Formats: sequence, structure tokens, C-alpha cells
Amino acid sequence: MVMKDKTTLEELINSFANLEEEKTLNLVKELLKTQDPMVIIEACRKATTIIGEKFERGEYFLSELVFAGEIFKKVMELVLPRLKKRAKPIGTIVLGTVQGDIHDIGKNIFKVFAEASGFKVIDLGVDVPPEKFVEAVKKYNPDIVGLSGLLTLAFESMKKTVEALKHAGLRENVKVIIGGGRVNENVKEYVGADAWADNASKGVRLCKELLGIK
Amino acid sequence: MVVRSPEELAKERLERIIRAIELKEPDRVPIGGLSGEIILSYGGITWYDLCFELTDKTKEAVVKFVRDFPSDFPPLISAPYGLEGFILALAFADFPDFSNSIRFLIGPVHDIIKDKWTRWPGRELGVNYHPQFLGGEFMKPEEYKNLIVNPVEFVHQKILPRACPGLGKPGTPQWNGAWIRVGMTLQRVSQFQMELLLEMSKLGYPVFPITSAYAPADIIGDFLRHPTGALLDIRRYPDDFKAACEALVDPILKVATAIPPTPPLSLFFIPLHLNEMLSPKLYNEFYWPYLKEVIVSLVSKGYKGFVFFEGDHTPHLDTILELPKGWGIAYFEKTDIRRAKEVLEGHSCVMGGIPVSLLVSGTPRKIEEYVKKLLEEVKPGGGIILAPDIGAGIPRETPVENIKALINAVEKYGRY
Repeated sequence: MVMKDKTTLEELINSFANLEEEKTLNLVKELLKTQDPMVIIEACRKATTIIGEKFERGEYFLSELVFAGEIFKKVMELVLPRLKKRAKPIGTIVLGTVQGDIHDIGKNIFKVFAEASGFKVIDLGVDVPPEKFVEAVKKYNPDIVGLSGLLTLAFESMKKTVEALKHAGLRENVKVIIGGGRVNENVKEYVGADAWADNASKGVRLCKELLGIK
Repeated sequence: MVVRSPEELAKERLERIIRAIELKEPDRVPIGGLSGEIILSYGGITWYDLCFELTDKTKEAVVKFVRDFPSDFPPLISAPYGLEGFILALAFADFPDFSNSIRFLIGPVHDIIKDKWTRWPGRELGVNYHPQFLGGEFMKPEEYKNLIVNPVEFVHQKILPRACPGLGKPGTPQWNGAWIRVGMTLQRVSQFQMELLLEMSKLGYPVFPITSAYAPADIIGDFLRHPTGALLDIRRYPDDFKAACEALVDPILKVATAIPPTPPLSLFFIPLHLNEMLSPKLYNEFYWPYLKEVIVSLVSKGYKGFVFFEGDHTPHLDTILELPKGWGIAYFEKTDIRRAKEVLEGHSCVMGGIPVSLLVSGTPRKIEEYVKKLLEEVKPGGGIILAPDIGAGIPRETPVENIKALINAVEKYGRY
């Protein structure tokens, strides 16, 4: 790799982490002329990790995560058509907002950040009944099941979903993480999940930890 | 124990709230916000009943709860249950005789206008599910300029037809007929609500006017661009976003002042939504200045504020100090009430502090201990109203003895 490209990659990581949309996209376009698309994706991953850290430190807020997700989507629009073969995902997540709840802002941000970190995400949408999760686990054989929900009634649905996975003999095959603005350790225990996250960034970090990925 | 008449009781409770707002010590710390799904399980009705069935059964369920679990503040949940619908009031901002009465979107109106903002039990959701506000994107970023020129007309002509398929196109028979049906429905609803109000006042609940206002940026996030769209617009079209917020202030004030302030107490209610999602920098530039304009204007007209600071408002707490002292009630959700009281001491009345998770999974003893300890810290100096920390209220699986324990503990440790 030539020196100039290396500096440009550093610049890309910084501009993305600072949420400079235009600059980031221009740098991606420039790098695509000479670089393997995978190198660019790798740089963007580094940037999203920095963004996640800034969020957990309280420097960034949801407004910044949403914008970062949007920039990442645009980067991928530029990069994906140039990608000859996709890299092997670091893990697969079946994701959905649980039955009775239709909130999806948190779930969608989590999805973008999980994908940016290298996960393959199968998004089942909102108001997903337990049996749909069971079906999806059978079909996609994921490493992780992500149950999202904002309302307190979602806790009951999360619990039912975990029970349905147990009943189908699938619980041992997957890790279950619950996410939402009001989940906490108590809810995790109640639901029978393996981890909980009240923001997208923490969620992705915990997913990596659950799979032993540094 | 002296038995007080409903009138005496109502007077006592109202006095308690007013003194808390005025940052004085009342006879004891008021308690409010006792409502939520628990009303359904306790009264044996479904979410569908609470949203659609304007029957004696529904009324009795609500009355049974507020009779058995008395508090100082009239319950925020009512029948029929309402979701965010301020956009409808905005569309009729020039009709003060009814603009405020369509501020909440209710199930029977949803049936007519078929709006895409909300989902309802027994309709899009199961009968036992909480009605939910979904929002959506009903305006393109290029249209900010039209919104800015005339928000009321733009909402009426462009947004309502897009978001409410049941209305059809403006001026068509379907459109006219749908609004007549909405009017008839509201009449039926208001009669039901009057009956409910009468029952409440028989139980000694204070009756005072509560009007509605809104944070201008939340109109954009909730009804026009979806919160995600609004957050992106702040980055991409910052000037348009600010100009739109500024343009929305006047119509919001028109709706709010449609109910005139009457002494001794008239509240305006504002639930905040984008607040928690914004960094202080963005909050201070795109959200707060316009919300502040709304609050300050209404306070100067004689209303007191009742603002629900959704989520964790800790990063923005200091900005509240920019409001006039004694402006009203700051109801906090995830913000630590002790921290809020500390920052806002002698300036704003704070409300909240009772974790819903404690009510659901605690024991009466734990709750008593918690309330005792909390009150030791936040009671001195007044300006505090205790309430559950989730606006959506008390979950259905909450043991009723825990709610009793909460009420008793406030009575026991809340006296001045």
C-alpha cells in the first residue's frame, strides 16, 4: 500500500468518526480507485468502533449514532458494488422487536452498527411472535438472538420468546441478548437472557463479547 | 380520623399541588402519576375496552382504581386512552373552540381517519396490547419551505391526506364526511369524559384545566419526518429545521391558549421526545430555544407548565434554569430525581422518583424503606411531587399491596 493511501485511510477513519459526511464519502470514492473495497470497509469498522466508544463515554448521543449509521449506509452503497466476494461474517444475529411492540428506532441503529462490525443480521421486523423467532433460528442457525422492545409489556414477550426457544430445544445453541431503553439486569434475569443493553453501541460490544471476539 | 367531604379533599389536594409548584412546603409531599396498565388488570378490562368501549364497565374500572388508590394529582391516563395527536390540533389551530379537544388521538377517531401514526388494540394489535405511537415519514426534506411559509395550511392540505387515508382528499365528500364523523365521535367522547370527571370529583380529585402544547422540534420528529429523519435533517438541513421550529411556535401557542387560563391553577402539558436523543450542543441549538419560547410565553400568560422530560434528561438539566422561577412541574423519567432536585432547588418543582421496577418486583417493606430514604433527601424545601418514573405508568403485574405501600409511605414520611 502506498504511503498516500495509508494517510487517506487514516483520514477516512477520522472524518467518519467526526461524522463529516461529505468528506468521508469523497475519501471513499478516492480510495476505491486504488484500494481493495475490503480495506475501506475495515477502516469504516474502525471508525464505528471509535464512534461507539465516544457514545459510551457520553461524548456522542443517539443523534450522532443515527447520523453515523446513515453515513455507513452511504459508504456501503459505494463500496458494495465493487466488492468481488463478501468477507465471512464474524457471527450471525437474528434480530427483531418482540410481539406486541412496534418500536424500531433502537433496533435499526443496532442493526447498522452490528453490520458495520462485521455481523450478518437477519432482521425479522417488529411485533415478531415467539414462533417466528423459533422458525428463524432453525432456518439461519444464528449465534445470537437479539430481542428488542421499549414497552414494559415487551418484557413478557421476551420471556415467552426465550421459553419458546427452550421448548424447541434451541436455547442451548444461541446466546440471547435483550435491548431497549428500559431493560436492565432485573429484566435480563426475568427474561432468561444472556445479556442486556440499553443502547445500540453497548449491544454490539456485548454481542462480540458473547462470541469471544475481541 | 376526620372524614372530609369531596370538596374539602379536592381543595386540600389542589392546595398541595399549588404549593409544590410555588416551591413552598405543603402539608405533605403530593403524590401523582398513579395509573397505567394496572387499571386494566385491577378493573378487569382489556386495552381494547379502555381505548374503544365508552361503557359503564370501562368507566367503573377507572373509577375503581382511583378510588382504591387515592393520590393528589388526577391520573394522567384516562378513558378513552389517547396517543400523541397534536398534529390534528395543529391542523385546526384556527378553531379554538375545538382544536384542543382533538389533541390526543383516540381509537374511535383512528377508526375514521385511519391514520398511519398509531396502532391500536383490537385493530392492528391484539386486544390486550398497549396502543402504540409509531409515527412515520410524511414530508420530504424539500418541503420544509412549504411548512415554514404556513404550517397550519401545509399540515392540513399535505400531511393529513398523506398520513390519514380515511380522510381522502381535501374537499371531497369522503373528507367532509370523515370530519363530520370525527365531530360526532368527539361529542360522544366528551360526554363520557364529563361523566368520568364527575365521578372523579365525587372522589375528591381536584378539577382544573390542563391544556396542551408541544416542543416544535417534536412536531417534526413525531408527525412529519420520523425521529430518525429529524435527527438527519438537523445535520443536513439545519437552517430549514430551525426555521420550521420557529414557524411552529405560533400555531402551537394558538392551540395551547384555546383553553384560557383560570385561577387558581391551569396547566399546559408538554411531553418531550427528541430531548434524550440529542447531544447538548444540538439540544441547545435546535430543540431548546423553541421549546423555551413556548414555555415562557405560556407562563407569562398565567399558565403553569407540566413538562414530561422523557428518557434521561441529565445532560440538559441546567437549561431548565433559564425558565422563570416557579414556571411549573418538571416530570422526570430516567433522570435521577435527587440530582434533578439538587440542580433545580428553589427554581422548579420536580416530579417522579419512584422506580417502576421497584413497584413491580419489590415488597411493601422495601418500598416503605425506599420512600423514607428518598423523602429524607428530597422533601426539605418543598417543590417535589412523587410519582412513578415511567410515563406509561404502572405495569399490570404490579402487586397492589405495593401500590398501597407507596401511598401509605408518602402519607407517613411525607408530612412537613
